[in-house]
Amino acid sequence: MIDFVQNTIDGVMIGASYGLLALGFTLIFGVMRRLNLSYGPSIMIGAYLGTLIYVQFSAGPVAVVVMTVLGAVLAGIYVERLCFAPMAASAGIASMVSSFAIWMQLEQAAILILPRHTYPFPPLATGAPLELGPFLLRIDHLMMLACALLLSAGVQYVIYRSRFGLALRAIIGNPVAAHLVGIDVKTSVMLAFAGASAVGGIAGYLVLAIDQQVTPMFGMWATMKGLIAMMIGGLGSIPGAILGGLVLGVVEAHSLWHFGPQVRDLVAYLLLFACLVLRPSGILGDAPAAETSIGRRSA
Amino acid sequence: MLVVSDLVAAYGKIEALKGVSLRAETGRITCLLGPNGAGKTTLMMSIAGILKPRRGSIRLGDTELTGLSPARIVGQGIALVPENRLVFPQMSVLENLLAGAYQRGDKAEIAADVERMYDRFPRLRERREQLAGTLSGGEQQMLAVARALMSRPRVLLMDEPSLGLAPLVVAEIFRIVSELNRDGTTIFLVEQNAHMALQVAHHFYLMEQGRVTFSGSPGQLAEDEVIQRAYLGARRAGG
Repeated sequence: MIDFVQNTIDGVMIGASYGLLALGFTLIFGVMRRLNLSYGPSIMIGAYLGTLIYVQFSAGPVAVVVMTVLGAVLAGIYVERLCFAPMAASAGIASMVSSFAIWMQLEQAAILILPRHTYPFPPLATGAPLELGPFLLRIDHLMMLACALLLSAGVQYVIYRSRFGLALRAIIGNPVAAHLVGIDVKTSVMLAFAGASAVGGIAGYLVLAIDQQVTPMFGMWATMKGLIAMMIGGLGSIPGAILGGLVLGVVEAHSLWHFGPQVRDLVAYLLLFACLVLRPSGILGDAPAAETSIGRRSA
Repeated sequence: MLVVSDLVAAYGKIEALKGVSLRAETGRITCLLGPNGAGKTTLMMSIAGILKPRRGSIRLGDTELTGLSPARIVGQGIALVPENRLVFPQMSVLENLLAGAYQRGDKAEIAADVERMYDRFPRLRERREQLAGTLSGGEQQMLAVARALMSRPRVLLMDEPSLGLAPLVVAEIFRIVSELNRDGTTIFLVEQNAHMALQVAHHFYLMEQGRVTFSGSPGQLAEDEVIQRAYLGARRAGG
């Protein structure tokens, strides 16, 4: 029983990072209705720039956070300009495939910047874990959970309460009509992309600060975890992204405990498959995967 | 005054507008009638900046509009009520109105304008919290008009506001068009419903196959002929 609870706690904490990754993913998908496979790799570029200033100039944690987020945002805008802005609304496949090409490009770029396979990443908090009866709570895990909840609440507020959010939901609802009411659609979409990448950058920083190392494979890892969590939670739903992340984290933690690390990833894909078969719209999505719920008035 | 001169617009090699010139006088209702495929919607989308014309000019007062982004054109005082209304289906009626005022910063004035829209369109007040996608066709048309008015346009463009609506609702829409015009809005209206349009218009144009083929005031051409040409096009109808 103690193991079960401890595993669940660990799962929730790790799941918070999946939720954050899914949050950025779902923002891009919700606004553009396109799958951005380069989402994870652009976060990885940010992380590489972060680790670069850490390794080369022994930069402090604040500088590393700023660099990671900034790098992810710049890489995200680069992806948007190259893969999404020039493609017509009907060319969703072209966008997805070109985002795959950019993924490979970003991965190679990261290897060129820092040729060794693994680089150290500065830790977030090094204190001893909190003890709660028989259970252990890592400080950096708690910070990650808090970030996930705060950021998702913040994103929810921006989308449903701010003028910028109104513009984004108008664009989701009908891009032509959004033009007609005077919304600068191109700029708004680019800003949404940048915002989503910033969320991803924060997620990436938190995950890597806990792992304390970064490899070029992090890009693929982030895309996969974000994608699975988003699909489980419900495409285009903000609370769904966090919830999907938590569910994925908890399921992974238990399967890791019972079956070991190889089986853990297998279980994650099984969970995705079961979800797609049994509830294609995800836990909180109220529309099939072709639709998205971010444009709805309240979530 | 909105002046369109020698406008050419094309989809690929197919020219939809083959040199269109017309004007919408300030303070009046100008109608553009013509059959399907005449290029009416292409003209409206070109004025609104959604489509980029090949040649020609669109001027509002002294300002050239061709080449401006749709958002800048709204800023110049033009609002289009598009064909098929295009409300934001998953946003409430109120949010649709607020989106219409997107470029305005005067919060108190925007709130006052929302109230004015509710006074003019009482059904929208009743349904202000409802998602726009759940409204009837007529209500969506009212909302699309109100949304366009929220930008306080100098010229209101309307693309087939009667499309797909019941006769009573159509009459209501045209009553509102006249009313808006009496209150000072310049209106440029595209219609297939020639009968209704001729009742409210001060001036009208006929457009066939990408060209303006008649310009005059209602009564200058027998309504039968207008209707025949507006629905069928003279070349085919005349035989």
